[in-house]
Amino acid sequence: MMADRRRINGPPGGTRPAVFASNSQSGTGATTRAQRQRQPSELRKIFLKTGLIPTASGSSYLEFEPSASLAAARANPKSLIPPSSALKLACTVHGPKPLPRSAAFSPNLVLTTHVKYAPFAARRRKGHIRDSSERDLGVHLETALRGAIIAERWPKSGLDITITILEAEDDRWWGDAPDSHDASWGMMNVLAGCITAASAAIADAHIDCLDLVAGGVAALVSDESAGSSAAPKLMLDTDPAEHRSILSACVVGYMPARDEITELWLKGDSSKASLEDGDKRTGHEALIDGAVDAARGAHTVLAEAVRESLLSAVGQL
Amino acid sequence: MPSGAGNTMSTSLPPVAIPGQRLGSVSVYAAGPGTHVQQANIYASIAGPVVVDPAQPKTQTKSTLRVSRILPGISQDVVAAPLAPAKPKPRYNTLPAVDSIVLARVTRVQKRQATVSILVVLDNATASTGDLSKLASDNDNVASILTSAANPENHSSTDELRFQALIRKEDVRAVEKDRVVMDEMFRVGDIVRGSVISLGDQSFYYLTTARNDLGVVMARSEAGNMMFPVSWKEMRDPVTGTGEQRKVARPF
Repeated sequence: MMADRRRINGPPGGTRPAVFASNSQSGTGATTRAQRQRQPSELRKIFLKTGLIPTASGSSYLEFEPSASLAAARANPKSLIPPSSALKLACTVHGPKPLPRSAAFSPNLVLTTHVKYAPFAARRRKGHIRDSSERDLGVHLETALRGAIIAERWPKSGLDITITILEAEDDRWWGDAPDSHDASWGMMNVLAGCITAASAAIADAHIDCLDLVAGGVAALVSDESAGSSAAPKLMLDTDPAEHRSILSACVVGYMPARDEITELWLKGDSSKASLEDGDKRTGHEALIDGAVDAARGAHTVLAEAVRESLLSAVGQL
Repeated sequence: MPSGAGNTMSTSLPPVAIPGQRLGSVSVYAAGPGTHVQQANIYASIAGPVVVDPAQPKTQTKSTLRVSRILPGISQDVVAAPLAPAKPKPRYNTLPAVDSIVLARVTRVQKRQATVSILVVLDNATASTGDLSKLASDNDNVASILTSAANPENHSSTDELRFQALIRKEDVRAVEKDRVVMDEMFRVGDIVRGSVISLGDQSFYYLTTARNDLGVVMARSEAGNMMFPVSWKEMRDPVTGTGEQRKVARPF
């Protein structure tokens, strides 16, 4: 990672509060893992509102409902460490604005996406300079949006989409030791949230697009109670803190009106899925279908948020 | 919705649309701005009120379906409820296109061309009536945009964010093109009404002022006072009484 030479940098390893084993295994219930209270196909509630930033041509704010165990931990705090975190992010759209002088002529809209974690967004602090995972999210987001925007209607202009993540999903429960199933699962939820929020902000900026593209996540999760031998099950909108091991996960950017996928990101081993009897789909097909279902759910919220801001602007609300 | 008038010929249209919402079939309507066509159906591509423009008997047979960027409710509400708290009005971006009328501020005058930065793109409807006070979109505060732009203190602060354009020497006026002296046509800081003739190259649009209604609309004299036009090529300072040469737009 490139070092930020203009600031006094903190230690590169981050500042994670020390957790002592005796504390985390005390059995008081304060530090038990968050349990998924939802049905496998049930999504978390989404808060989405557009037009909150007056200086931007379009903006949106998105928040996922914190899991039930987090609410319980807040009501009856036994530990200072929250059991799980929920996604909170803000998206701004600037433009269409002229391209920089150095840029070549473009007959289309030039899309630029920036995704940045706030330093305090994750349990591990992030630096001021975008690291590779943030750049990666930016590229994925650009792919998801590029398929939805009608770029030829905005010649010679650029559109900047900036997302600030205020609170990110965990990659695993904080009390777990790293193991072989570890991957940046939380990043996939973040990407789904980014896609939905950016789509709302673009609609708020009145940029022509084919459809409101929504993000959705599905994952194959191995059931804890049945032991590790049980075949993994498909769950929608997984909170990584609620599961001991996620085997594979999938994010899609999906346009319901056209039944098209603009972005697909599949990670992990999806070969050993236990589906219902008679379900002939392979694991990754089921995973993609699940993510599309989650995106359809997010789209209803997205459409409602866009319609709400439109109606309040028209003055009919 | 008053804008929904004239849609009796088909299934009812929604009053407002969001991107991706199906509005009608291409066999009934023609697709206008703010919509796109997918598999013989018209879909909305921006969020806004659905407007049906009735068919022009001579040129088209189908009425045009479009999604407006302008929110009609705002101006009507102001009339209906003058005591309502003034909400911050939404701003929409309109890109300059060929033939659109723009208001621009002169940033640089050279021998062969003048560089301007585009402040406002006027809508077709408003440009034809010329009534700036009836603008309902983001341009409804044209007056404030112009006064702040004409103020020397605000110069060069936001030029990077605006679209740049060129007025070439031969596009300044329609007659005696070879006798044009750019210094006698524009000065830095003038507000010019121009028409876009080309999207131009990577960095500049091309404007023309070769019409009677195009040219300088607001200018300050050397003394710094706002001048009034006295002829198509002269403006005068009301305080000192001295005249200065400009390519003046015909006042409405």
